[in-house]
Amino acid sequence: MPIGRFETVARVKAAGQKPRRRCFTLLPLVFAAICAANAARSSWADEPEPASADVSMSRRVDELLAAAWAKQGIEPAPLADDGALLRRLSLDLTGVIPTIWETRAYLSETRDEKWSELVDRLLLSPAHATHLADVWRDFMLPRKFDPAQTAGLIGLQNWLRRQFVENRRYDRVVADLLVATGGDESGPALFYTALGVKPEELATTTARIFLGVRLDCAQCHNHPFDHWTQQDFWGYAAFFARLEQRSQNAANMRLIDIAAGEVRLPGTDKVVPSQYPGGTVVDAKEQGTRRQQLAIWMVSRDNHYLARATVNMVWSQLFGRGLVEPLDDFGDHNPASHPKLLQELADWFVASGYDLRHLYRTLTNTRAYRLASRMPGPIDAPPATFARMAVKSLSPDQFYDSLGRVALKRRGESQERLADPERQAFLVKMQRQTRSATDFEVSVPQALTLMNGPELGFAVDRAQSGLLAALDAPFLNDEQRVEAAFLAALSRLPRDNERAQFVDYVRSKSIADRKQALGDVVWALLNSAEFTLNN
Amino acid sequence: MAQTISRRQWLASSGLGLLGCSASGWLPALAAAGADEARLRQRHCILLWMNGGPSQLDTFDMKPGHAHGGPFQQIATSAPGLQFSEHLPKLATQAQHLAVIRSLSTKEGDHGRATFLMRTGYRPGGPVEYPTLGSLVSKELGDDSAELPNYVSISPYQAFNPAAYSPGFLGPKYAAATVGAREQRPAGPAAADYAQLGLDNLRLPPGVDPEQSEKRLQLWDTLEQGSLGGSANRSAVAHHLVYQRAVRLMRSQAATAFDLEQEPAVVRDAYGRGRFGQGCLLARRLVERGVPFVEVTLGGFEGNSIGWDTHQKNFVTVKSLSAELDAGWGTLMEELKARGLLESTTILWMGEFGRTPKINAQSGRDHFNNAWSCVLSGGGIRGAQAYGRTSPDGMTVADNPVNAGGVLATLCAALGIDPLTQNINDLGRPIRIAEGEPIRDLLA
Repeated sequence: MPIGRFETVARVKAAGQKPRRRCFTLLPLVFAAICAANAARSSWADEPEPASADVSMSRRVDELLAAAWAKQGIEPAPLADDGALLRRLSLDLTGVIPTIWETRAYLSETRDEKWSELVDRLLLSPAHATHLADVWRDFMLPRKFDPAQTAGLIGLQNWLRRQFVENRRYDRVVADLLVATGGDESGPALFYTALGVKPEELATTTARIFLGVRLDCAQCHNHPFDHWTQQDFWGYAAFFARLEQRSQNAANMRLIDIAAGEVRLPGTDKVVPSQYPGGTVVDAKEQGTRRQQLAIWMVSRDNHYLARATVNMVWSQLFGRGLVEPLDDFGDHNPASHPKLLQELADWFVASGYDLRHLYRTLTNTRAYRLASRMPGPIDAPPATFARMAVKSLSPDQFYDSLGRVALKRRGESQERLADPERQAFLVKMQRQTRSATDFEVSVPQALTLMNGPELGFAVDRAQSGLLAALDAPFLNDEQRVEAAFLAALSRLPRDNERAQFVDYVRSKSIADRKQALGDVVWALLNSAEFTLNN
Repeated sequence: MAQTISRRQWLASSGLGLLGCSASGWLPALAAAGADEARLRQRHCILLWMNGGPSQLDTFDMKPGHAHGGPFQQIATSAPGLQFSEHLPKLATQAQHLAVIRSLSTKEGDHGRATFLMRTGYRPGGPVEYPTLGSLVSKELGDDSAELPNYVSISPYQAFNPAAYSPGFLGPKYAAATVGAREQRPAGPAAADYAQLGLDNLRLPPGVDPEQSEKRLQLWDTLEQGSLGGSANRSAVAHHLVYQRAVRLMRSQAATAFDLEQEPAVVRDAYGRGRFGQGCLLARRLVERGVPFVEVTLGGFEGNSIGWDTHQKNFVTVKSLSAELDAGWGTLMEELKARGLLESTTILWMGEFGRTPKINAQSGRDHFNNAWSCVLSGGGIRGAQAYGRTSPDGMTVADNPVNAGGVLATLCAALGIDPLTQNINDLGRPIRIAEGEPIRDLLA
């Protein structure tokens, strides 16, 4: 049986309902029951563990990585310096570079605890939930998705953001998404409509993002490299076969679970029954809609995939590549770089109650996360060893929001941010195909946009930029002005040669032209490799 | 023993040694006298990449009368005995320049893996990051000091396998300048008539004069040296190179190549108004200005389907793609010939695999890599022929099987590149440009 004990619980609860009635209202009870059963079966508590547990798991991660380095004869990079670390953590947790004030304060702080305190502060900031919503939205929606569908986009963003603000158990977030109906909860509906409400598209994408497997290779033929068959693919797709979209309008769009609908093996009339990944066909007596059945399986202990895929995805977001890479290619043919580490992290994540915030806290408190991105010598370490931090490119979202921060433009956390037409136009122009942050992908036309386009105007134009206005303050001297520009854009002070050249340039201008000269300084900073990379 | 890559080695192989110069060093050198003449002698390659895998049975290797044949008719071409699909009438008039290889037989039937194989010549997997064809060829034929990029990729669809579009171990210096991968169609009705492929923001923004721009770039260059010095990472190097190219392009007269508005409407229409047709027109303009390698993709992602991947409704889709192909490629051949450029420009038409001879229940054809076709044409190619043969049912190769390495080696030979040329990869290992023997019968 795929669901084992929980299924009994589900059936007992379901028995109270009238037959054939759709049980939307039933689901929360089912989840509550599952969690109760989970708690009863083990000593694991549903509550987040005390902070001390963070340290032990963080240490364990470092221990396992260090053991691998010792075995491979690799000396890891030293710790990165404070400015780089602050910038890295701000980008990874909040999607935007730190403000100049944060940077000054952090650089002048000397206590040891300043790192873990910074982690905690950023994890609780509104910007963290916004950033996670960006990351998940990007992960969930097809790359070809049309950003013009702003209403749906905002709905999905708001819904995701709410889950992350409340730090809801991640398995329940996934389950809620799988049974989403639209209407009041218009958010997750976009996920379905962007995929055309097609069983095969929904199967492919949910398998990729929640299970970490590429079922779609098995869509047309049995996949030669792992054990997924065409039957498995269509059996999984069958969970999405009884779904209908009512109304095209995003505002009152509803997804309805209907009573009939099947998928067939391509080229045949053979109906494929719904089947859980791993091979068990759904018992005809099981209650609920097909999507509910899948949601229940998704949060059950029989699902080994969700926790592994999730810790791997978060790891990749922080460390630049997954322990399994690509993220959606788990399988015997593609082993993890550190199998024991992956397994222990996944088990720990389940034990924590699928607590994403806890996972971010634990990983960012490792020593590995704080390593410099450059090796001291000429020999690089292979990326899969994590012996140095990967250099990640800022996503177009991160880039635009960081430009805004340099220009002292306030960032909204929801509606107005995504609806901003200038921001949208920038994101469309800067779209990339890669999903990997360590692949640098900027084309010549995109570089021309950054150098000459109007998009950077608000940061470098003397009439528009808040930073340039602030730097114009009469109590600053030119050296302080240049320093401030460096801190604002790169979170560090200028090096000696940079200081000399930049200050000379500003000084060579008349007072009247000084603001424009500082605009040139900011232009150079914003177009530098260092600005566009998270080192 | 850990596998390690020396950054120094990598930087050397990526050509970073050239970057020590200041920004002002990029100002275009005055064109030497006689450059135009040299340009005409230069060799070019255009890859027409058929994304998704085009049906050989409905284009260049038809099986009329057989159950596998499908509804399309064959038509005679300008080459005696050589017949194409009725939906390729313009190409039929160019057949004296076309050599069809009907006996391709390859080892990969999955989009991602096959795309890698056909675009690099090597099967995926293993530690070597093989470079894509455009990087390999433009490295041999290109000019480091050229104003225009040496490798331009128009409307690529990279999602099947981004590595198949990458310069691999040759490094970002040899990466494609990508045009129109995803520009949105403009809103205005007049502009929407043609697919928009131009490069925006080529000029300095209003209020910034060239002198100020030069100062900006000097400041910028100092910052870049900080990222590039010592043990620089690949992303910083790639960033620097793409900016360097952008600056060179901004300062170049040649950048008008990207302005398709300069062409009369009658010419633009002859190529077809879609992305592929306008891409072929852009390819002609780039070749005229000396760009050695241009690739134009037909068959990206539209709605919910991918170009030539015709698992369903094969005949409807192939007919409409054939119309785009015929207008774009056919006009390109005519115009290159009229300009005397066809002898120095070799064109390869190819996808990642072919389609099954058997027609499935959805009137579709599925992936098929056992016996399929590609076409070589133009410079260095002996046209008016079909090389190799498939069985009457199209299921197997009957004569002269050709693999990926054979196609690429033949292309190299036609371009005057020795296929035995080796590049040294980041692990210090020599890698041949093409593993395979050129097919003598196909060479002029």
